[in-house]
Amino acid sequence: MDATLTIEKDVEQRARIGLEDGSAIPSEKLFHLLLSDLKISGHFLVDETRYEGSFEGALLDPALKSQEYVLKYTMSQSRGTKLSIKLIRASDSTQLFKKSYAIASTAKMPFLVHKAVYDINKALKYPDIGWINRYVVFSRYTTPRHSEIVLADYTFTYQKAIIRGGLNLFPKWADARQRSFYYTSYRGLMPTLYRLNIYTGAKSKIASSEGMMVCSDVSRDGKKLLLTMAPTGQPDIYELDLTTGTKSRVTRFNGIDVNGKYVDDESRMVFVSNRLGYANIFKKDIHGSAVSQVVYHGRNNNAVDAYGSKIVYASRESSSAFGNNTFNLYLTSTDDTSTRPLTTTGSNQFPRFSSDGTVVLYIKQSDSGSSIGYINLQSKQSILFPLGTSKIQAIDW
Amino acid sequence: MINRTFLGMATLSLLLLSGCGQPVPGMGSGSGNVYDTDTVSIDESGSGSSAYNSSSDGFQSLYFDFDSYTITGGMESTIAKDAAVAQRSGTRKIRIEGNCDEFGTDEYNYALGLKRAKAVKDALRMQGVPASRMVMISYGESNPACSAATDACYAQNRRVDLRLAK
Repeated sequence: MDATLTIEKDVEQRARIGLEDGSAIPSEKLFHLLLSDLKISGHFLVDETRYEGSFEGALLDPALKSQEYVLKYTMSQSRGTKLSIKLIRASDSTQLFKKSYAIASTAKMPFLVHKAVYDINKALKYPDIGWINRYVVFSRYTTPRHSEIVLADYTFTYQKAIIRGGLNLFPKWADARQRSFYYTSYRGLMPTLYRLNIYTGAKSKIASSEGMMVCSDVSRDGKKLLLTMAPTGQPDIYELDLTTGTKSRVTRFNGIDVNGKYVDDESRMVFVSNRLGYANIFKKDIHGSAVSQVVYHGRNNNAVDAYGSKIVYASRESSSAFGNNTFNLYLTSTDDTSTRPLTTTGSNQFPRFSSDGTVVLYIKQSDSGSSIGYINLQSKQSILFPLGTSKIQAIDW
Repeated sequence: MINRTFLGMATLSLLLLSGCGQPVPGMGSGSGNVYDTDTVSIDESGSGSSAYNSSSDGFQSLYFDFDSYTITGGMESTIAKDAAVAQRSGTRKIRIEGNCDEFGTDEYNYALGLKRAKAVKDALRMQGVPASRMVMISYGESNPACSAATDACYAQNRRVDLRLAK
């Protein structure tokens, strides 16, 4: 299908909310985290003024009376992080929700904030935003042939290198609960796929292949993997059944087939192939042979992700072989409905769906550095967080 | 080296997590208190591959056009020289390493590097080097020889390096 621009009316059904910091030492960082969380949830219109006041009682700054809700909060980080919140209905100062959180780490403070916003959202019975609590795992290059794999909160405010040194690439969450991830190690003669438990350090070897080895996708039940590997020197997509240990070859093409992603009921996949002479998006049955083209525009569409029937892909829309090319993200589906652009300027790549398919993560490159971006597909809201100058190799959420 | 540090009540946190719709990384949420479970840190600094970014052991690198893995006529003399080096090195295994410039994304770039390595392997096989002696690996864009933002620099990164396997 061709990409079509759809102009959608911004229907304002979001709740107006203001923030009041009652901390002994007010925190700009905390305020911005709350602001980001509430905005990208898609359910709130946030007053971007930071008010200060007493956490105790339900007395509100008069300027906040025009809001529907006021979030009062107080945080201390003298020993670990302690955060308390109150959600107050502005019209009658009724307290709707109250909760306190504590964590032994100061570095993990962002997760406390995300959890608080998750709870507020839930208390107001808005659609689930569980993705806000999840780890992002990514690999980044440090020096030639060296990388590190890092855990982060979705804003990248919290970051921890979980594997330092060596060349370890393509991290991919192994289970819905994010207890383990797969990654490719270049420690031996052949690239080897491992599964690592992030809490116990238990590591198990899954498979290896001459040339390259990537875990591109994990089935919803965690029992099957789509791998890009090359046991005969030819990069193709294979499905590995972890229960039986059986590998079956899904594509057979004398070019490049990579980036397999399960779609629909997981009996099919979308993938990237250069079978037309340039990178583009195709789909096929896992156990069938027919291949069909998914995208009919763009000069080079070399990255794809999927959730159910939804597909998001990156498309190069400038002709320069080098330099600052324009890459935009598009949202389409397996059932031949319309395609719509998610970005319209700059270089936007590495699209990844959230765990519920409602938000898309991506990396935006600009002259001032790179950023991690999020687009809420329902509210159309987007947000960017700076990444600095590090070069991301692969990312999963 | 694995450093495992468990802060707080790890077991309790797992139990609490099971009651949540969406687990918080390393946290549980019960009556309000939150417990954290720390994640491991693994240091593989001593196990990284050496930072070669050119051929060694007498081999010469081969350079490719943008997004291409085609062996061109201009590469034939280098292929012949590399085949001669391979023949002189007895039965030792030869590593054929595919590399790319920074344009392209994650998986596709690694596959492109592999296709370049495969093209060189096939060309050497045609020159009489046994396939069983050659081992391919793709480094994608991870092993640049040059980092300046110029076309000449990018061209140095679209290459295949060869060396004897250690």
